[in-house]
Amino acid sequence: MNVITLALKNIRGSSFRSLIIFLCVMGVAGFFLSTTLIIRGAEHSLDAGLERLGADIVVVPAGAESKIETALLMGKPTQIWMPKEKAAEVIGVPGVAQVSAQVYLNSLYDAPCCSVSEMFLVIFDPETDFTIRPWLEKELGGDLNLNDVIGGSYVFTPPGEKYIRLYGHHLTLRGNLQATGTGLDQTMFMTMETAQAMAMTSRTQAEQRLEIDPDLISAVMVQVLPETDAHKVTLQILLDVLGVTPIESPKLFGTYRDQMTGLLWGFLAVLGIGWGLSVALIGLVFSMAVNERRREVSVLRALGASRGFVLQSLLAEVGLLALGASALGISIGAVVIYLLRDFIATSMEIPFLFPSLASFMTLFIGGVALALATVTLAALIPALRASREEPALAMRE
Amino acid sequence: MKILGVAILLLALTIAILPQYSTCASDGKYLTLANGRTIPMKCSWTARAEIVVGAPLAAVGAMMVFSRRKESKRNLAVMGITLGALAILLPTKIIGVCAMPTNSCVTLLKPSMLGLGSVVIGASLIGLVVSQLSKEKQP
Repeated sequence: MNVITLALKNIRGSSFRSLIIFLCVMGVAGFFLSTTLIIRGAEHSLDAGLERLGADIVVVPAGAESKIETALLMGKPTQIWMPKEKAAEVIGVPGVAQVSAQVYLNSLYDAPCCSVSEMFLVIFDPETDFTIRPWLEKELGGDLNLNDVIGGSYVFTPPGEKYIRLYGHHLTLRGNLQATGTGLDQTMFMTMETAQAMAMTSRTQAEQRLEIDPDLISAVMVQVLPETDAHKVTLQILLDVLGVTPIESPKLFGTYRDQMTGLLWGFLAVLGIGWGLSVALIGLVFSMAVNERRREVSVLRALGASRGFVLQSLLAEVGLLALGASALGISIGAVVIYLLRDFIATSMEIPFLFPSLASFMTLFIGGVALALATVTLAALIPALRASREEPALAMRE
Repeated sequence: MKILGVAILLLALTIAILPQYSTCASDGKYLTLANGRTIPMKCSWTARAEIVVGAPLAAVGAMMVFSRRKESKRNLAVMGITLGALAILLPTKIIGVCAMPTNSCVTLLKPSMLGLGSVVIGASLIGLVVSQLSKEKQP
């Protein structure tokens, strides 16, 4: 009989104790993965959102930083304005390669067109745009025509209809951008030409008129020259262009990143306490079990089993339990998080995008290895004690 | 088999109860007709239909706990698989949920029915295998 067969027989022989250890490890491993997935998913979503923006610096009217973050992150429409001339001033700043102005609008409240109460509308300039255009050229092979729009992954044409009706105007959804988990998923992108046509229609067809001032813009997307320090360019824009705030791309969702870091530490603390308690519980349960099996272990020793064999069989027993329980716990946690990802994002008000398969596999392997190491560590002392005991003494007791 | 029966019973109760609190109507959202009347959206009908699936599934779970005959266990497992599949098909194919991706019927009702239905199918499949392998107990 080899070590694994003996361990499996021992697990089957003491099913209640094994079940306790199994459930304990499964719960902790599942909780560990779920919390890590939520944090990782939020980070992944922020990174995907920044990648979608494609700008090194975003210039917004002074004081509108948090508004723009909320709009881009949660898709909550915002009305921020600055003179159109600011874009021309920004391009004059040394180190700036390209600028493109954007105008932010919102749909009417509870319009039947939209996936949310108020949809965030982004109007871009096809002549200068470098955020949507590369995608348009790659996916649609050209520009948007009049009345064509592009939507985030949540934007859809109502079932049974050919157009999206917005401010009484018919719009054709040409395609959907890949999900980012941020507010960009519920954002509609259109050209200024289409927006002006929509504003014109709204005068007669909509409950409320859409007003677009051609002299005002909401934000300026900036790309810096290659090998130029974006931070220095940001400072230069701050000095040279009055009434605006430049935000470096990596710092764009800074407030949310800070909140997430706080959340992460909180989760880690809870996780640490939970993990410590589980190790203590597993150690205790295993210690009691080994104590009950002293005679059994002594018989094994008397029959010729070495100390090493006894130690290995006891450790293999907890190892097998830890392996199965952590793999199951992590898998259940992952499936639940995957299925309820939208619900988590909505209820916790955080951006969330399920991490890539490679990233998930790393977490899975890491989680299983951690569970295996910790459970083995918890069972090591009672197993060592049992293997070192003199058979004759134990049998006499 | 007893553990599986209890598990299916609990899953059945969740299938019947959870959808009642995750529809658009429970969030206060209704369809407004041209005449001003408000009617529930289709997710409400899915939620009601899930009660019709959950109730017999709960009975299947309860009967699994007390069942002794190999044939009964097998039939109950088959019923479990069918009802589990129905729990999944109601929000996905048969009735469906609302189109708005942010509504709770899309974010909570549909995925939870997918998950719970799959677990019911899995548990029933295990029950089927166990019933085929087990020896019949004499009453």
